[in-house]
Amino acid sequence: MAKIQLKNVSKAYGNNKKVIEDMNLDIQDGSFTVLVGPSGCGKSTTLRIIAGLEDVSAGEIWIGDQLVNDVAPGKRGISMVFQNYALYPTMSVRGNIEFGLENMKIPKAERKKMVEEIAEIVDLTEYLDKKPQNLSGGQRQRVALARAMVKKPDVFIFDEPLSNLDAKLRGQMRTELIQLHKRLGTTFIYVTHDQVEAMSMGDEIVILDKGHIMQQAAPMEVYHNPANQFVANFIGTPSMNILSKSMVEEKTGTITDERISYVGFRPEHAAMQVEKLAASGINLSCEIITMETLGSETLYLVNSDAGQFQVKSFQAPLVETKKVDITIPMDKLYYFDTQGNRVFVEDIPFQTPAREVRGEVLV
Amino acid sequence: MKTSLPLKILNVIGLIIMVAIFAMPFIWMISTSLKTLGETMVFPPKWIPDELIWENFISAWNSGPFLQYFMNSVLVSVGILIFQFITVIPAAYAFARYEFRFKNVLFSLVMVTMMIPAQLIFLPVFLNLSDWGLLDTLWGLILPFATSAFGIFMLRQTFKQVPEELLEAARLDNSTDFKIMMKIMVPMAKPTLITLGLFNFITHWNDYFWPLVMTTTESARTLPVGIAQLRQVDGGVAWNILMAGNVILVIPILIIFFFAQRHIIRAFTYTGVK
Amino acid sequence: MRSAKWRPYFFVAPAIIVFLVFFIQPIFYMIYLSFHDWNFISPDKTFVGLGNFKDLLSDPMFLEVIRNTLMYTFFTVLFSISLALLMSIWLNKQGWMYSFVQGAVFSPHIISLVSIAMLWMWIMDADYGLLNWVLSLVGLEKVPWLTDPNTALSSLIIIAVWKNIGYFTLIIIAGLQSIPKHLYEAAALDRTPPWRRFAKITFPMLSPSLFFLTIIGILDSIKVFETISIITKGGPLNSTNTLVYYIYENGFIFFKIGYASAAGVILLVILSILTLLYFKVLSKRVHYQ
Ligand SMILES: Nc1ncnc2c1ncn2[C@@H]1O[C@H](COP(=O)(O)OP(=O)(O)O)[C@@H](O)[C@H]1O
Ligand SMILES: [Mg+2]
Repeated sequence: MAKIQLKNVSKAYGNNKKVIEDMNLDIQDGSFTVLVGPSGCGKSTTLRIIAGLEDVSAGEIWIGDQLVNDVAPGKRGISMVFQNYALYPTMSVRGNIEFGLENMKIPKAERKKMVEEIAEIVDLTEYLDKKPQNLSGGQRQRVALARAMVKKPDVFIFDEPLSNLDAKLRGQMRTELIQLHKRLGTTFIYVTHDQVEAMSMGDEIVILDKGHIMQQAAPMEVYHNPANQFVANFIGTPSMNILSKSMVEEKTGTITDERISYVGFRPEHAAMQVEKLAASGINLSCEIITMETLGSETLYLVNSDAGQFQVKSFQAPLVETKKVDITIPMDKLYYFDTQGNRVFVEDIPFQTPAREVRGEVLV
Repeated sequence: MKTSLPLKILNVIGLIIMVAIFAMPFIWMISTSLKTLGETMVFPPKWIPDELIWENFISAWNSGPFLQYFMNSVLVSVGILIFQFITVIPAAYAFARYEFRFKNVLFSLVMVTMMIPAQLIFLPVFLNLSDWGLLDTLWGLILPFATSAFGIFMLRQTFKQVPEELLEAARLDNSTDFKIMMKIMVPMAKPTLITLGLFNFITHWNDYFWPLVMTTTESARTLPVGIAQLRQVDGGVAWNILMAGNVILVIPILIIFFFAQRHIIRAFTYTGVK
Repeated sequence: MRSAKWRPYFFVAPAIIVFLVFFIQPIFYMIYLSFHDWNFISPDKTFVGLGNFKDLLSDPMFLEVIRNTLMYTFFTVLFSISLALLMSIWLNKQGWMYSFVQGAVFSPHIISLVSIAMLWMWIMDADYGLLNWVLSLVGLEKVPWLTDPNTALSSLIIIAVWKNIGYFTLIIIAGLQSIPKHLYEAAALDRTPPWRRFAKITFPMLSPSLFFLTIIGILDSIKVFETISIITKGGPLNSTNTLVYYIYENGFIFFKIGYASAAGVILLVILSILTLLYFKVLSKRVHYQ
């Protein structure tokens, strides 16, 4: 077991622009850390740097209390599960699992025992002598897991391991991986571009954009307390609605805090119709443009004089209605500066109290 | 589309004629090899000899040190094959998978060599071999073909297609580069290696030019050179004996072709199809 | 990680050494020899500058050799490709019958040239040969295929075409099969007549294969040796003497090493031009894609 630290790590491929720039990252021992971000943001690169598959252009990588910049990938105590499994096609399942042990010079008899134990755990015993091509996607996934587990590594690394599976199997594998993490208690580093996966699996989430860490925190923290507009946008479906300062001011009066340029709120926090008399909130009269019913919830795209935004409601869908009133509670508002960084405020930063707004609506 | 019956029959007749043009000569060869000398000298020629003279094969075999020729042929073809695998596999692997200084220069050298036929350089190589005392030795027939530019080129293509992830998985499994090459790359390139092996074996088994030029005595001569010399026996040409000798040369290849037709065709047409 | 740096060089070294020793050095050695007079036995090589080349180009026999080589190459390639084109269109079909015929047609390509040469020498035997028998079946006179200066070179061309054609056919068939079917479907909808379909779709799509075959065919024919060495020895009356056989004769029979090397340099120049042309067109094609 080991914690992992990246210190001022930069990476550029050839003479191109830096893919990772001056990254500092701490991954706690025994954590299930998920790296998440849009495609091309440098998640895989970060993982591969940790695994030693890619040299860094600058900076240090520490695993436990060892500086591993010059340690070969096979000697870092890391196992990796690849997106396409990367099973050796010419070897049997047994051969795949055994290959790493062979290279560690473990005696044959012991190897055999270890392989069979692992096969038992992942339920592959009867497939040990088959070739990977003859297995289903889920089975291949399990071979990849077994191959990673059998080496008893300090750190497991996963690069989008579930993206090739169908939705049902993916859900099942998610649960299995979470359980596996619980049982082994080893550090897991997991890459995905799917924020739902990130939220449901990780106990720590690192959100990346263009090679920079945008926020690192627990899932709920990331959701409730995004550090910036990027995170606010990236986490949560649908993403946070962002309105510009001037549009909001028309409704609420001047915003007192100079730093604020944008105001955001989550679609699920906007209340429709019934709560229109809420004590403090921005009230908007809106027109429904489109509606998506998803069973337990309904998604609306609405138009107001403050702009277009989305609303998520858990009420019965409003099939007939076109015009609705929407209230956004003051305490559910998020504020951002021109750079998109979060602005934290003590009080509600509006000059005029919400009362006046209500008056307008009532007229 | 439906084809009318007469057209179909015409098509089949055409195909039969085509096969005849290409296969008849071999049947003619076999037929001649079983005739008496007298029977070869009749016009119109006879297709089926009155009596099958199997002794022709023995006469052909005994008209020279054919056991030695045969052994030489085997040693040269197999020797070249082994040497080529030893040199081609690592070179192809390096060109496919490493970045290093002068890689492009060295690979251009491979490509240039691919375009140099033996017929261009035999004279200076002959002079070199004679300086080094390698004339009339099997080494002189093997070493110049101890590697193959075409093989490197073809195997490199195959190696390049192996997904990078597989090699990374192996590196994380603490595998050495040599082991990656032998345990992962080579097994995956098996079809290419079979193709290359067949191509080389057949090419060098059949080769006449190089062993003719690089040998002056029987000691290192191969089967094709030996067979070609049957012609000079006893003044006049004994076609029955001559054809018997050629049957000995051709039959092994035709048998291999029969069993591995697909592989062989692939091997020989690779460059054009790619 | 020190050794890792040298590993690729270590891996390519054996192959590169063989290339340098047996292919690259000999080229330079040959160029060096071409400027000298040497009979192989005497210890001295006399420098003669361009003397060997002057002699070569003023030797009517050498000019005949060049002419023979070019004629042989031109007609071999021309007939091989055009006949193979016809055959490939005919044989480009599925089914055991066609794959059998394809195999049969291809078989000469893997047979030793020694056997092919001797077999055809026998088939083309003026008195008892199979070919004259076939001619007699259709009421034609016997032809002295290999013994008459007027027909010997043509006879060798027939043999070469017979050997090449199966290989060429299979390459063209592979080319035909790589033409996307939808092109023909579009043409079928437009009711394009067959010959137009060939001219507008098949032929242009085949041109890379045909170009490849032309170059391969030329490279292969220009270095012809085996059939000549076994069947005609350049005769009768020098009518089938070609470049490689001429080099061989001068080097190994007359021991005119410098003179033979000079002829070798001329072959080198021809091959280089063809190779450059090949790569030039090839890279252009890649560029256009
Ligand atoms: N081998 C490489 N050479 C050059 N650029 C690369 C290479 N690998 C990745 N990149 C670039 O680095 C960036 C980050 O890639 P990656 O880490 O794979 O992103 P992610 O996994 O987040 O989708 C991308 O812009 C990608 O184009
Ligand atoms: Mg990635």
